[in-house]
Amino acid sequence: MRSARYLLALFATLAVVLGACAGGQPSGGGPTASPVGAKPVYGGTLTFALENDVIDFDPLRSRAFVDRNLHYQIYDSLVRIDPTGKIIPWLAESWETSADGKQVTFKLRKDVKYHDGTVFDAASVKWNIDRYRTTQNSQRASDLAPVASVDVVDQYTARFNLKAPFAPLLATLVDRAGMMLSQKAIEAGGADFTRKPVGAGSGPFKFVEAVKDDHITIEKNPDWWGKDKDGNKLPYLDKIIVKPIVEGTVRTTNLRTGDAQVANNIVGKDVESIKSDPNLLYQQGPNYGFDSIFTNRKKGAAFEDGRYARAVSMAIDRKQITNQVFYGTRFPGYGTIAPSHFAADPSFKPFEKADPAGAKALIQQIGKPLQFEMLVTAGTALDLQIAQLIQAQLAKADIKMDIKTLEFAQILTLQDTCSYQGATLIGWSGRVDPDGNTYSHIYTGAPNNNSCYSNAQVDKLLDESRTTTDEAKRKAAFRAAEQIYVVDDPARVWYDFRSTQLATAKRVQGLVPYPDGLIRFDVGWLQK
Amino acid sequence: MTQYILRRLLLMIPVAFLVSVIVFTLLRITPGDPVLVFAGEERDPAALEALRHEYGLDQPLPVQYVVWMEHALRGDLGRSLRTRQPVTQAILERLPKTLELGSAALLISISVALVVGTLAALRRNSPLDLIATGFTIAGVSLPNFYLGIILILVFALALRVFPPGGYADFATEPVDNLKRLVLPAITLATASLAINLRQVRSSLLDVLSQEYLRTARAKGLGERAVVLRHALKNGLIPVVTIFGLQIGALLDGAIITETIFFWPGVGRLAVDSIGGRDYPVVQAIVLMSALAFMVSTLAVDVLYAWLDPRISYRRQAG
Repeated sequence: MRSARYLLALFATLAVVLGACAGGQPSGGGPTASPVGAKPVYGGTLTFALENDVIDFDPLRSRAFVDRNLHYQIYDSLVRIDPTGKIIPWLAESWETSADGKQVTFKLRKDVKYHDGTVFDAASVKWNIDRYRTTQNSQRASDLAPVASVDVVDQYTARFNLKAPFAPLLATLVDRAGMMLSQKAIEAGGADFTRKPVGAGSGPFKFVEAVKDDHITIEKNPDWWGKDKDGNKLPYLDKIIVKPIVEGTVRTTNLRTGDAQVANNIVGKDVESIKSDPNLLYQQGPNYGFDSIFTNRKKGAAFEDGRYARAVSMAIDRKQITNQVFYGTRFPGYGTIAPSHFAADPSFKPFEKADPAGAKALIQQIGKPLQFEMLVTAGTALDLQIAQLIQAQLAKADIKMDIKTLEFAQILTLQDTCSYQGATLIGWSGRVDPDGNTYSHIYTGAPNNNSCYSNAQVDKLLDESRTTTDEAKRKAAFRAAEQIYVVDDPARVWYDFRSTQLATAKRVQGLVPYPDGLIRFDVGWLQK
Repeated sequence: MTQYILRRLLLMIPVAFLVSVIVFTLLRITPGDPVLVFAGEERDPAALEALRHEYGLDQPLPVQYVVWMEHALRGDLGRSLRTRQPVTQAILERLPKTLELGSAALLISISVALVVGTLAALRRNSPLDLIATGFTIAGVSLPNFYLGIILILVFALALRVFPPGGYADFATEPVDNLKRLVLPAITLATASLAINLRQVRSSLLDVLSQEYLRTARAKGLGERAVVLRHALKNGLIPVVTIFGLQIGALLDGAIITETIFFWPGVGRLAVDSIGGRDYPVVQAIVLMSALAFMVSTLAVDVLYAWLDPRISYRRQAG
């Protein structure tokens, strides 16, 4: 039985690898070029209005989502995803997983140089992964915890030795844990490196300068290895200026006045004005991110009895939230597995219609009425709006929710120790593999499990989803777990899935929304 | 006079020290763990612990204070916890931008308040006076985040006469720099202008009814000389106090104005640092504004002596 399972896993892995090598990538992986018919032209400078300033350019230190908007332009990772979320070759041309699932061998591109001129090879892969794994304050150490060591097989072959089979490894290497940087540049940068990553990447754009809260400039890397589907060298653009603009409405105004040409975080109420502007184009695609309510399941807290969390889940009207607060830029959501994840079950809509009567009946069955406190971050109008809407919806089920506003830093501390009384709002920017959206939120004692949820059956299923590399089995494990932590014994209340937004001037061509929400500027170009 | 100024300057040292202790303590007893804020979505406990150690936050509070003070006395205010930028550099890089915005706002506020306030006082109950009074009420009641957005929508989006925020370097793009300055400066100036205008008008009205002005008129002085030389100089004394305090208020207003217009100044740094519990940066900014307050009140006191010969600091210093 056991060996049969392994054999199956082996075949499945082989199939995935072969599929990845042969499937649909005309230039052997690499960038996915513009679907638009027009012929791209070279040159031009583009201004990108970003929702906040980048904090850490060093992927090792980076914690903020916003950082990744720049990482993806400056650095290359071992693998990437295409716009549908499928993992594609990038710096690694191909990969192979051993029969026992404990070794993954990557064949690397041979034509890659970092911006400072040093060569990218297997030794560089080993150095980078070891740096992420072993540096004391590395934010990537937990991503790479399943990796025991990296071997340099030959100059362009690197082998990852795992402590145990770890199915989400490739998805992990798409993002910051798989980004390759020049050792020379990092050592030259010293303590200032994370603000000035000069020469460190191998990606389509080179870092030029960053003035805090003012602008970041990156320019074309003329020696980049990427080519479009016709074999033309990428990138097309000469320069990108990134302007951090915190106010959502002001970002939109900058697009409309032509002071910026690209933005990827648009406030729901502004979308209509962009759609109706003849000079602008609004695109919206699926996204891995979700939004939810932490219901504190700790002993003595308001939601110790999971049925109360289910009652809240039943009573809220998700469609009303996504329509009234987000103007259709988000969609009713029921868990951690987003529609664009491979494990998504499109028919899983457990609380599609608000059912205050059912919630009321459930609470009567428990015996004690539900009253709790919802903590909302002070100064965030949108969160307050959501909380007030939910408050009104819950009132219909005789659930009394009090809203209390606190400073963000204070709420975080209460969350981290599960010492809030009732509930708090929590969003998640999303990860490529459903594991990244689930494990750290649901597994007993995991860092983002701030509802202090614990369910042995769920833990077992999530472990299984990590160790088996068979996609069908992983899918089954995820779906079985989700039924439990969303419906039967809810860990918290999920209310939406996010969407990837992309607003551009019409003359900006080639950019498409990716489910991770990040823009790939290497295929973007400006109409003359 | 010199002696008086010197004494006041020396007094600033213990005040600055006290401020530093208070800020240090207040920041640390405010609930909220900086490391959790910086961690964002990455909450691996081992990495958090390593960060805490790197920042020295695992040390006892008195030790943290002494270490910070030791470095500060040598001119090293540490690095930002959030961005790892040296604090001195972070502030020096932004200070000129905030000063530019602040001085422009102050200039608008004071000059308009003086001219319009004087005219309104001289022509009491005229249409101009009514408009000025109405503006005063509106200006004080309108929050500047609202005014800022309205100005952007009208002048940047609808009329397209000014850019919707941002900063341009004066050295390389002087025209662009000034164009980008206009809207935030007006936003920042409005609230303080309203207060200043009211103050100029009312204190001038006080003075205008006084006997010595009748004497001045009686001895045959022209109305112009009466107002400019006699009334205004005397009426300005309380106004100067308000102006001095307005400098501090402008710094507060800059926090919001800079965020709306993405003007990369100290105000924005302050918002991010306070929300993020970026201790070294907040300490430095508070200390800096405390010094600015002390210097501006000293300047106001010195101005008094110039405006009103009856005030002399020599005797008190004696």
